[in-house]
Amino acid sequence: MNMRRTALAIATALLSLSGVADDGWLPAVDPRSTVGRLSAFESLAACAMPADTQRQMLAASRRQAAAARGGAIAPVRDIRDAYPSFAAVAVDTVRNEVVLTDENLFQVLVYDRTENTPPGAEASKPKRVISGEDTNIEFQSGVYVDQQTGEIFAANNDTRDTLVVFKHGSAGNVKPIRQVETPHGTFGVVVDEVHGELFMTEQHDSALVVYRKDATQEESPIRFMQGLKTGLQDPHGIALDPKEDVLFVANYGSTHAVALTDKPKTGVNQADNREGKDNWPLGREFAVPGSGTINPPSITVYRRTARGDAAPLRKIQGPDTGLNWPTGLAFDPQARELFVANDAAHEVLVFDAAANGNAKPKRRLKGAGTKLANPTGVAVDIKNRELWVSNFGGHSATVYDISASGNVAPKRIIRNAPENTPSLMIGNPGAVGYDAKREEILVPN
Amino acid sequence: MADGQAERLRAIEGQKTLLGRTMHAIAYDEIHDEIYVTQQFGQGILVFRGGATGEEPPVRVLNGSKTQLIAPDRLAVDPVHDEIYVPEGVKILVYPRTANGDVAPVRVITGPDTGIGATRAVTVDPQRNLIIAATQVWGSDEENRARGSELRIFERTANGNAKPLRVITGLRGMGNLAVHSPSGLIFSMQTRYVGVWNIDDNGNVPPRFTIGGPNGILRQGRGLALDPKNHAVIASDKELNAVLTFQVPEIFGSGTAAAGNRR
Repeated sequence: MNMRRTALAIATALLSLSGVADDGWLPAVDPRSTVGRLSAFESLAACAMPADTQRQMLAASRRQAAAARGGAIAPVRDIRDAYPSFAAVAVDTVRNEVVLTDENLFQVLVYDRTENTPPGAEASKPKRVISGEDTNIEFQSGVYVDQQTGEIFAANNDTRDTLVVFKHGSAGNVKPIRQVETPHGTFGVVVDEVHGELFMTEQHDSALVVYRKDATQEESPIRFMQGLKTGLQDPHGIALDPKEDVLFVANYGSTHAVALTDKPKTGVNQADNREGKDNWPLGREFAVPGSGTINPPSITVYRRTARGDAAPLRKIQGPDTGLNWPTGLAFDPQARELFVANDAAHEVLVFDAAANGNAKPKRRLKGAGTKLANPTGVAVDIKNRELWVSNFGGHSATVYDISASGNVAPKRIIRNAPENTPSLMIGNPGAVGYDAKREEILVPN
Repeated sequence: MADGQAERLRAIEGQKTLLGRTMHAIAYDEIHDEIYVTQQFGQGILVFRGGATGEEPPVRVLNGSKTQLIAPDRLAVDPVHDEIYVPEGVKILVYPRTANGDVAPVRVITGPDTGIGATRAVTVDPQRNLIIAATQVWGSDEENRARGSELRIFERTANGNAKPLRVITGLRGMGNLAVHSPSGLIFSMQTRYVGVWNIDDNGNVPPRFTIGGPNGILRQGRGLALDPKNHAVIASDKELNAVLTFQVPEIFGSGTAAAGNRR
């Protein structure tokens, strides 16, 4: 019996058992589709097999499952990451836990803070996984943990237009204890505990929205920022310096003007959830045609109370900054340092809190030894003086001394997949192309 | 052929590419070996070498006040007639393929006679000189759901308030489009399946074929591309975070007979 036939036989057996051994962990079962997701049992079994066998088995099981549903034409190939893609990270130093969002399988995973995947192990098992239709979790790009209550706040980037909040200890397909409607395309989230305010960046309309920390349902933001003077340009991560009472925002650089005209444009996607809301950013129906610009990346700094089209207090921007798709941000109030997950450069940059203009980073965490791979999230653990990084391109979260610099190996690593498993980074693939010359599939993310 | 946990061959990424994280369109031009991508937030069209890799800048950037671009989401390229088509709200904007910088559209299809209330996707059949647009009558979501969406077929050189040649009605979605010129088949991404119509269809005609659903694997289909050589339809699904290849020789082989009444 050749390997392919063996794999097909195993796939059939596993499929008939899927759901029986469902303990809700990695990767999560999707209650919406028996075809679309692997069951936990499939995943566990697959982890114990050689990679080639896994691939063949999973593809075969999907094809068979699809074919069994109404006779629809099933795919012959299915390029899909079977493991989580860690997007954002937050640390709960009170309960010694780390919280990671997964934009691939639509989960929030909670691990012990000191978890360290042993070399050769398949993956670390999370303590808890929040996942399923009732959770309203999909592309959660930002996460914040309330140190007092352990509540988890997770911002959705594209598909649900809702910030969800879970109580500590939540697991499985549970409803959030609170959720609040947001503009389309929120990314970063941070909370100012002193003033009870919640801040989110909004990519699509280059805006920043501020809510009451406990905002719920259709509650409006209490203020917002938008406009060309703000320097908000496809904003991503956000961090707060409570001492100086300022906000840092990471910008990719592209933006366009919006104008409140009498008659919004028809036929274009309109700002979601806008109806009846105050302090709502203007959406694409108010975009000024041809006003778009694609600029160098930046980190802009604002007073916490800034609103409207307020200019930043200062801006970190220029070739010496090394910014290259700056994504997640975190601030260390003790050392007065700003950490930047510099996605496309596979590094973490550290700036002085007062950095301005074309400033060089104080230090860079970079190199093969760091195991950084398309980092999109950073978090600082002030209590234990550690830096956490979520590696969207590396199936891992890595931990360093907070003062680490250069090509330093992580102190600990949480892997969510077997070592050297390719990270597909297919996140919300809105399009696909085919290069007939090279016989290659092109996938924008 | 890539499958399962396949490792990517190359990536175009980084600040110098001018790409953002939000891309809903990609087109490959085999004749000129170029890749076209929309830059939605910056209101631009980026063009890369076909073999681009790493942090490689685009070879051309269409961007500026003359372009009329609002939130370019999808596009189509006609490598034969050297044009780019961009659906934008109530308009289809047409640019020279080689446009670079702040270039105005050479034609704009818009107006009450076009019947375009909203358009989200467009494709071109250079062989028959036709543009196919996925459109909808503009209104509330509820009205749109009840009315459905349409495929409006225009002369490729249509301009201004042009009437469509034909309208295929009763669709459920304005997803990405592709056309296979030799067979005269239009592929339209509906939410849970790829629907296939003949380019000569008109009125409320059911799809001649469905791929991947409606009771199949597709959950929220988005991307759509054709690989005619291998009789394959490639689809991306944003709920599955997957890229699926369907091999359908029976469909690619059926079109010529079905096309019958060609222009």
